[in-house]
Amino acid sequence: MAGAGGGGCPAGGNDLQWCFSQVKGAVDEDVAEADVISTVEFSHSGDLLATGDKGGRVVIFQREQENKSRPHSRGEYNVYSTFQSHEPEFDYLKSLEIEEKINKIRWLPQQGAARFLLSTNDKTIKLWKISERDKRAEGYNLKDEDGRLRDPLRITALRVPILKPMDLMVEASPRRIFANAHTYHINSISVNSDHETYLSADDLRINLWHLEITDRSFNIVDIKPANMEELTEVITAAEFHPHQCNVLVYSSSKGTIRLCDMRSSALCDRHSKFFEEPEDPSSRSFFSEIISSVSDVKFSHSGRYMMTRDYLSVKVWDLNMESRPVETHQVHEYLRSKLCSLYENDCIFDKFECCWNGSDRMVERVQYFKL
Amino acid sequence: MEFKLEAHRIVSISLGKIYNSRAQRGGIKLHKNLLVSLVLRSARQVYLSDPCPGLYLAGHPGAPALPQQPGESVAGPPACWGEPPPPAACAAWPEPEPQLELPAVLEVPRAGDAEPAAPVTGAGDTLQGGEAEAAEAAWRRVEGPRETAVGGAGVPAGGSDVFPQGPGAARRPWGCPPGDEDKMSASPRVDGCRAPSPAGPEPPVPPPVCPRKRGAEGVGGGPADRPAPGSTPLKKPRRNSEEQSGGAAAAAAQEEEEMETGNVANLISIFGSSFSGLLRKSPGGGREEAEGEESGPEAAEPGQICCDKPVLRDINPWSTAIVAF
Repeated sequence: MAGAGGGGCPAGGNDLQWCFSQVKGAVDEDVAEADVISTVEFSHSGDLLATGDKGGRVVIFQREQENKSRPHSRGEYNVYSTFQSHEPEFDYLKSLEIEEKINKIRWLPQQGAARFLLSTNDKTIKLWKISERDKRAEGYNLKDEDGRLRDPLRITALRVPILKPMDLMVEASPRRIFANAHTYHINSISVNSDHETYLSADDLRINLWHLEITDRSFNIVDIKPANMEELTEVITAAEFHPHQCNVLVYSSSKGTIRLCDMRSSALCDRHSKFFEEPEDPSSRSFFSEIISSVSDVKFSHSGRYMMTRDYLSVKVWDLNMESRPVETHQVHEYLRSKLCSLYENDCIFDKFECCWNGSDRMVERVQYFKL
Repeated sequence: MEFKLEAHRIVSISLGKIYNSRAQRGGIKLHKNLLVSLVLRSARQVYLSDPCPGLYLAGHPGAPALPQQPGESVAGPPACWGEPPPPAACAAWPEPEPQLELPAVLEVPRAGDAEPAAPVTGAGDTLQGGEAEAAEAAWRRVEGPRETAVGGAGVPAGGSDVFPQGPGAARRPWGCPPGDEDKMSASPRVDGCRAPSPAGPEPPVPPPVCPRKRGAEGVGGGPADRPAPGSTPLKKPRRNSEEQSGGAAAAAAQEEEEMETGNVANLISIFGSSFSGLLRKSPGGGREEAEGEESGPEAAEPGQICCDKPVLRDINPWSTAIVAF
């Protein structure tokens, strides 16, 4: 795996010390393309960390129980499960290859012993069940220990199978496959607070799914213009509100965020709120549009704020104020003078994510960084 | 001037990105290409608005003669590539018939789009028109072989020859459909338009532009003034390199320029009307993508493009490219 970096940007100016706790995978330059991590997501409790890579694999890490004999070491993450989520496909109608790269992973809220997550590539979303098995039944009547069937006529006595402990085995099995609903590349998925539905967003449309129903989805946002030549912006990220199951936001490549209420109409093309910060004309350059494109949007846990990430900054918005963000943090302002080089080597198109920490003090996570 | 150079460089980089995106796994990425097209538009606007009097980016009399049009002479390139082409000018073309050819490859993704596109629209004024036509013709010429290979539907029996002439497809992304004023008049190129100087004085040649200018006579050369040299496309490149005298900016820059223009030319041909949105309205505009329509047919013929590079250089694709955008 290629390493990912982390950084912190505490809201309110507290002094937080950040340091690398653990680096997984290869740190050197010599990393296979398929091993490059393309998405990262913690579970809600933080005990599991799922990563997706360009080769379509998902690797889940689990935090070890903190050891009392080593009180200063934080829980380390070790590999918990690895499975191949998506395979490369070929769309014969359009003569297009569909990449297996995992674009997003989202955990479902835990309900029971098994864990569920959604993983998506450009076109297909899959629901995976990750379950543990640490016991094995022994003493079957109809088959031997090695699995061979016994001759029923030879069985003279019956016994009750006994469960015996075994080495922990983590199994991942695909439970649902949600396919054929997106013409463009899927960039976001978000599980709703009702725990029954979720949305998937591509460049121009957002669809609403029910977790149990794979053959149907509802289109709730469609920004495709009648004439594609009039296209000026695309959807870059979308998320459901953490508490209000009817509210979602989506960000655009123009640096705007729209909040939609699904109660107002079936098709939420008209937003309920529109968040945009006026552009500073003094910083205009060839690349203004690129660096203003929002790459990620996340609600705070409270649901009162949301955070957006564009190329150079992180902004915190109050949902009650659409005119400008309440906080703006420059992440790497020193890159502003190097935009042309970054454009040449494609780094300017890198998409960064952001997330809130548990207490809604802002945390910024660099998804991957090419230097 | 530096802005122009910078803009020029950015345009070439952007076009290269769009070109390369065709070969990317997973199909064309709409978001990235939209952003690249916005950068292109910004750079183009800077390029157009940079006050450099009499700047000829459209190339010059060096525009290649069109072999398939015997007897035709190609006028010099448009004096000012910011000019809106009066549609009526099409008729003023020395050519007997407007270039109606449209590679089927181009047509497929651009259903129903009329292009304001560039060079051809220049077909308005006598001279400028001629050059635009030449440029356009050159484009089509590039497309010709590709098209036939792909089995372009719109190509008449001109076949493998450069310019399938004659009554071709009515659709012409690059074309100047007679009477189709509306689309062209809306071209934002008007913004940076300078007064046309048909027989104008020798324009200062910007260094990065095609070296062909060096040896060219004044842009104002009459439409019928196309000199014989390089009557066949193959000769042109050699002549060009010989003519690379004098030189303002480094010849190296021009070398680089030449290499890039090959791609530029291809890109223009390939994406043709896709950029008409950028041209029509400044706030709007984008490109048709993602459905992967373009990647299919176009991805098929990389080899063809390569062989046409020398030809492409001749037409000063830069001007065409810039104008096109």
